[in-house]
Amino acid sequence: MNDMENESISKNLEEALKCFESKTKQAPAGYFHQFELGLMQKIKAQEHAPKRAPIVALFLDHKQYLVAASLIFAIATGLLFFNKAEKNTTSLAKVEIIEIETLPDELIEAYVINNEFVAEVEWNTAIETEAVFISKQ
Amino acid sequence: MTDQSLIIQFQNGDNKEFAFTQLLKRHQEHVFFQIKKMVLEHADADDIAQAVWIKVWNKLDGFKQESAFSTWLFRVAYNETLNFIAQKKRLTTQNSQRALDPILEHPATQNALKETEIQIKLERAITELPEKQRFVFMLRYYEDFDYEKIASITGTTVGGAKANYHQAVKKMTELLQQA
Repeated sequence: MNDMENESISKNLEEALKCFESKTKQAPAGYFHQFELGLMQKIKAQEHAPKRAPIVALFLDHKQYLVAASLIFAIATGLLFFNKAEKNTTSLAKVEIIEIETLPDELIEAYVINNEFVAEVEWNTAIETEAVFISKQ
Repeated sequence: MTDQSLIIQFQNGDNKEFAFTQLLKRHQEHVFFQIKKMVLEHADADDIAQAVWIKVWNKLDGFKQESAFSTWLFRVAYNETLNFIAQKKRLTTQNSQRALDPILEHPATQNALKETEIQIKLERAITELPEKQRFVFMLRYYEDFDYEKIASITGTTVGGAKANYHQAVKKMTELLQQA
């Protein structure tokens, strides 16, 4: 007989379990009769309680569809808001381009002259870098 | 009248209250004492038992009688008891546990403890068992349910139920042997 088929328990444990049962298998006199009365009162109260409104019941019965619809609505609203924000950003950029194109020539020349030195340095650096690259090859 | 005929009467709406109270009278003591062995406190067992029977009233219309009524009933009791214990564990704070210690240290308590030391050890051993093991043990030892029925009640296999029983016996034996 394997261990799991052997259901013998020690005498100590058996004695203790008997005492445990006699202790727990106690209920006040008349308890079960009172229990029945109290229970049936609760059940009757539950049966006579106003039923929930059919509209609410409809939604509660189709809770998963309500949750799905709410999620779709939230995502759609988010997308619309995001697209609107992006359009605004794009139109700002467009306005800037238009503004540059409408700048007077004098202003553009002044800008070039002021930044000529920087442009020259950057150009020379680019030439040197390319020369190094060509010499390595 | 058998359980099956009472259930059919209930499901047909034919004097539901009579059919239900007959089932209640037939099974309530077994269920109540099984619950009480799990939670020990009478008030807690009373709360759980009420919840069990209200659930039975609400769900009996859908009971297909694929298993015996007592199997289904004890399954409801099992679920309600475990839910109650889990909820009570969440609500029990460390402070309330510390408050018990001064009571245990009182001389009058110490004398009483010597007389029922083995009982207190056993109760502690029982409460230290995982709830599922405890429930399986109680059903097997006190109700003499077979393992197929126990497996059906607790949602486990026959092998699992046997293992739970033997683990429970082993742990209780070890805890009782401790000084």
